[in-house]
Amino acid sequence: MNTIDSVKIRIKLAGVFRINRFKEEERCYPFGITVLEVVEDLRLPEHLLGIVVINDVHAGTEDVLRDGDTLALFPLLGGG
Amino acid sequence: MKILTTDPFKEPAAILYRRCTVDLRSGAITLEDVPCRNFEEVLGGFGRSFQLLAERQITTAYCDENPLIVNTGLLTGSNAMTGMRTYFSGYSPLKASGKGLPAAMWSASSGKFGAKFKWTGLDELIFENRSDTPVYIVIGEGLDGPQVELKPAGHLLGLSTHEKIMALQKDHDNAHFAAIGPAGENWANVYMGAVALSTENQLKSGDDKCRFAGRGGMGSLMGYKNVIALVARSTDKLKALSEAVKKVNINVVKGGGSARLQPISRGGGGGTWAAYDVMQGFHAVPINNFRPQGNDLPEKLFRENVDKEYHIKSEACFRCGITCHNNVYAKNADGSAGKFLAKFDYEPLNLLSTNLGIHDAGQAASLIHLGDNYGMDAISLGVTISYALSYNERHPQKPILNGATFGDYEKIRELIIQAGKGRLPEIGRGSRRLSESTGETAYAYHVKGLELAAYLPETNPGYAWAIAGGHMSMGTYGTLIREGKSDIDSWVRAITQEKLNIVGFDMIGLCKFFDISKGIATQMVIDCLKDELGLEVTAEALAMAVRRAFLRGLAMELRQGYDKAEYTLPAEVFESPNPHIRLPRIATPEFFGELSRRVWEVFKPELEEFLP
Repeated sequence: MNTIDSVKIRIKLAGVFRINRFKEEERCYPFGITVLEVVEDLRLPEHLLGIVVINDVHAGTEDVLRDGDTLALFPLLGGG
Repeated sequence: MKILTTDPFKEPAAILYRRCTVDLRSGAITLEDVPCRNFEEVLGGFGRSFQLLAERQITTAYCDENPLIVNTGLLTGSNAMTGMRTYFSGYSPLKASGKGLPAAMWSASSGKFGAKFKWTGLDELIFENRSDTPVYIVIGEGLDGPQVELKPAGHLLGLSTHEKIMALQKDHDNAHFAAIGPAGENWANVYMGAVALSTENQLKSGDDKCRFAGRGGMGSLMGYKNVIALVARSTDKLKALSEAVKKVNINVVKGGGSARLQPISRGGGGGTWAAYDVMQGFHAVPINNFRPQGNDLPEKLFRENVDKEYHIKSEACFRCGITCHNNVYAKNADGSAGKFLAKFDYEPLNLLSTNLGIHDAGQAASLIHLGDNYGMDAISLGVTISYALSYNERHPQKPILNGATFGDYEKIRELIIQAGKGRLPEIGRGSRRLSESTGETAYAYHVKGLELAAYLPETNPGYAWAIAGGHMSMGTYGTLIREGKSDIDSWVRAITQEKLNIVGFDMIGLCKFFDISKGIATQMVIDCLKDELGLEVTAEALAMAVRRAFLRGLAMELRQGYDKAEYTLPAEVFESPNPHIRLPRIATPEFFGELSRRVWEVFKPELEEFLP
């Protein structure tokens, strides 16, 4: 059960971010945690981070996550 | 190229490029040093070729007056990483206005041919008229500069692109090659013929790992002229690598700009194929003729799934550290690489598999391979076939062609073979003509007569203003999906200011992956021009030249009869919104109408200078 000090976030990863991690997982983090802090916690290569989506809306790495949010992290998109 | 100034922006005439004009009717060959008229001509590629094309009044692509121009850019053959581009320009047999006039087009390719061509001392080769008999052209280096000769090419007819290249290699050492396939030979019924350019890996391994100048049917124009192949013979002429260019090259590889394209094993994103994973997160991977269904079918061709059954090797163009090629091989029992099957890039993979209802990697590889061997543009081929499949799905009682439907591998394969042999003009002449013949144009996924890349038009209204292919001459394919921009102001700015800069790479001789997000008006390019060629240029001058070249291309479209109403998206996008795409819906008639009004408001006054 969440306390007021923590938030439960559903995290979805795409592409190379899944390697040795997961496709989708729920995790608890301290209240006030930002996207960037989650990225660091997951040890995702920041130079490959291309798209951040919170609850189906594009977002930024400084955005603060709230309890129940779904955070999707995608690598950079390029070329054809 | 003769460089008699350090300031090519102020003194373009002090830069002279070496041009060879071949009159294919008479066999006359003329070599001359031509002073540049402006900075766009100095940079090269379509910045130069389009100025020559603009001087011609061409009403049909297959005519003697339509030249085929083969040229390079300033940094082709230099130490700058990716500096290998060759450009093919002419009035396109495929892309035409509603009035029926052909549009000027260019198509670009890597491979080592461009560098060898440049090292012969030649900067531009123009083919006038057409030859009565099939010929190939040998460009060599003589004591007084480049030498060009025509040779009979009857023995090459009917061979695949790869077979032609390998046959020519036996007769020409220290050379690289550009060749059309059977599709280009059958130009009358195939308007989407590509030109295949040889790679070092191909010549050494014997595997058919060509690179392609695919868009707009420049291979068909070459076939019309009865030019079957080009051979560039020269010693390699790279100068000593300076510290500044070395730093640039390190920055290209490690600075982040190309990170997404580099091998996963090196911490990269795995090449353009990785777009599958990103797009699928938004249910935006084209499936069954650009209609995502909100399911997980595209995941079958995710790299992680293909990797289980096949051996995937990361390989590169000559001297390129980006290593963006994902070559798929059969997997031996011990896990090692077996037979080479195909190169998986996002566009050919999607448009010749998922978008045709094919979800098997082996079948996908086979179709890509087949299209490459016949020498057809993968994008135009795939999208024209997906139109036919979509038509057949809607008309099960009265299907067209061989009745192929989505997922029917054998029948789709047959369509490619017959199209490549010139026996299926319905496919070979592209989706626009096919849809006009059936009377059902709403779901033909082309803009201005050129088939769309594998980014849904729902996510990219910028397609309408691309001047030479959807995603590589207007870089807005990621504006919604990557940047999350869904407001008019951002889109107007993207189309009219930021994303048109992508065409700069098709002038200067570098691959777009050099720095796709920033374009060529950068310190990296400035450093390369200074150290490689002794030229002092500014970012502002580079940006101005790119903009002028883009605007000239847009003006040339209008001159060829394009109506403003043709600057639009396939009607299905507006008429039947796809509920499965998980992105803000910007491709509405209202949004697009306002976008169009504001984009033309910006472009119109600037275009006047380039209109007759």
